[in-house]
Amino acid sequence: MRQQEHILVSVVVVVVLLLLQSTFIPLISLLGVVPDLLLIWLVYIALRRGQIEATVAGFAAGLLQDIVATKFLGLAALAKTVTGFILGYFYNENTTEATLGSYRFTLLVLLAGFIHNLLYFFIFLQNADEVVLVRTIGLSLAHAIYSAVIAILVMFLFSRRFRTAAFE
Amino acid sequence: MLQRIIDLLFEFREYVLLTVLVVVSLGLLALNDNPQVKVLRSATSVVFGLVQEQVSFIPSYFGLKGENAILRRQNVEYRDEAYRMREDKLENLRLKNLLGLKEESPRRYLAANIVGKNLTLLRNTLTLDVGATDSVREQMPVVNESGLVGMVVATTDNYAIVNILLNTDFRASVKIQRSRVDGMLAWDGTTLMVKNVPKTRDVKPGDVVMTSDYSSLFPDGIRVGLVEEVQDPVSSLFKTIKVKPSVDFVTLEEVFILEHRLSEERRALEQRVMEIAR
Repeated sequence: MRQQEHILVSVVVVVVLLLLQSTFIPLISLLGVVPDLLLIWLVYIALRRGQIEATVAGFAAGLLQDIVATKFLGLAALAKTVTGFILGYFYNENTTEATLGSYRFTLLVLLAGFIHNLLYFFIFLQNADEVVLVRTIGLSLAHAIYSAVIAILVMFLFSRRFRTAAFE
Repeated sequence: MLQRIIDLLFEFREYVLLTVLVVVSLGLLALNDNPQVKVLRSATSVVFGLVQEQVSFIPSYFGLKGENAILRRQNVEYRDEAYRMREDKLENLRLKNLLGLKEESPRRYLAANIVGKNLTLLRNTLTLDVGATDSVREQMPVVNESGLVGMVVATTDNYAIVNILLNTDFRASVKIQRSRVDGMLAWDGTTLMVKNVPKTRDVKPGDVVMTSDYSSLFPDGIRVGLVEEVQDPVSSLFKTIKVKPSVDFVTLEEVFILEHRLSEERRALEQRVMEIAR
């Protein structure tokens, strides 16, 4: 039952984040670069739940994102699946809360963003006019940094929450 | 065994899951029709092809019987196809030869069917289904795709008689293609020969024999046959050159009459010189 609840909550969160991603986030884009809310959530899932759930969550969230936002069905699913799998290596149930409430969370978002966007844009920019590799790395970094900046806010939220919980 | 496989899959479940989801993602990508995806799709095809190649032996163990039946059926189909292609090739070659002969020369040809053959006498002839009403005249050369057949010697309104090379009355000025040696083609009742070639001239078996420029009846360059045998008889100043005709007169069914007329100016000149010589 708990597992089903968790899945249901995850689905709701993903849908809400997708809505925000497609409505609110474009308003804060910088030169076309936007943070990826689903990626931040994926890092959270990986740190909280481990590799298998992060892989599945990455695939599911990516697939939904593909259906809703991108024009390549399967592209975000592929990128987020691989990213979720790699993030799973950072799972440690003893240090989850500490990681979520510290700069390590931001760094993980940065890493995840870079991996995800590298994979995503490498495929997306195939047959493009510019030198694909340079553009891919540049875009990957830009998106990852922006996501990491947003992740700082999330990190402060987690930090406050865990600190309050510790005092209680 | 099965349990062991399940255990193994469970042990590496993270990797199995990743592989499955990546494959599903790639499969979804393959459904797209964007140019960017085509690059990935071709790369995926290569990867899948390599994997398929590695595991291709698996179904062959389980489905040998079915595979064998398919291969046998394909073998029959391919054999049938090869046979038909061979037939087409032969037909193509024959038609090409016919067309090629026409294309190589601006001469005009009149097609004719052979309606009668007389190949058992010293004066072997053919009867054609074209005649004077088709503008066929005596002394017109007759050819087919293989070479010289003979010469029209008589016509009625609708038929023509042709003296073939294998006729004791037939004569043609010929040359050896390789060495440009001239001679006279004639049939002695048993053998087709090139006569009047001095022993000093260069003629070898296998040389191509063609009609000569000196002929007043045939245009030059029509293939006649191949030199089969060359002899230097002690009792003669000339070579004995046996020729195998290019045309197979036994299977011959259709021919072309060549509308070849010697230049009137040349004919008049040659006649005048002959009269002076007399």
